Amino acid sequence: MEAMCRAYTPQDSRNLKIFNWWSIGTAIAFAGTTLLLAGHWIERGPIAWGLAILSVAAAFMMVRSYMVFLRNADELLRKIQLEGLALGFGAGALFMLGYRLFERLGAPKLDMVDPLPVMVVFWAVGQYIGHRRYSGGGDGK
Amino acid sequence: MNNRLRVLRAERRWSQADLAERLGVSRQTINAIETGKYDPSLPLAFAIARLFSLRIEEVFTPDGEQPLPLQIT
Repeated sequence: MEAMCRAYTPQDSRNLKIFNWWSIGTAIAFAGTTLLLAGHWIERGPIAWGLAILSVAAAFMMVRSYMVFLRNADELLRKIQLEGLALGFGAGALFMLGYRLFERLGAPKLDMVDPLPVMVVFWAVGQYIGHRRYSGGGDGK
Repeated sequence: MNNRLRVLRAERRWSQADLAERLGVSRQTINAIETGKYDPSLPLAFAIARLFSLRIEEVFTPDGEQPLPLQIT
């Protein structure tokens, strides 16, 4: 954990904080809109469309803030992030392809967004592995 | 790639955090370079050499090669 903390420059921390806020905002917007629609709290009309568009706009800002973070990140941090993204993308693709076979064998059908948590978890795991690989061994002074 | 970053830093009594701040990188980057776990980009290698007023090959040397002697100017 300490290795992860010292991997960020002040600018990286600022950019990461912005990304985190947009991530939280996106999660709230998507969860809120989904609940409102599923519970029939709002009718399918202009308001529902407005909320859906707002959620997508928040998601767009989240992606944009991550791109800003990545482009301006410390060079080692960028490498770690890219390794994490590669692992997340690979795990997600593997899950999608592999699970198709299991579905044919009788496993329950999955929704198209279900690989997303797999990608996010493996993205985080990839970052952890990267931080572990490039830290330690120094005197720190 | 080998480097003498730790020695150069110690000569100036800088901490890894001090050096990281001067170079605008993270402390983890400095630690990873010093321990040989990460080779810096060319711009960062030049920035390091310039900070210590040395030529790049006086700081960094390929594996298996002896580091160049420091030139006193």
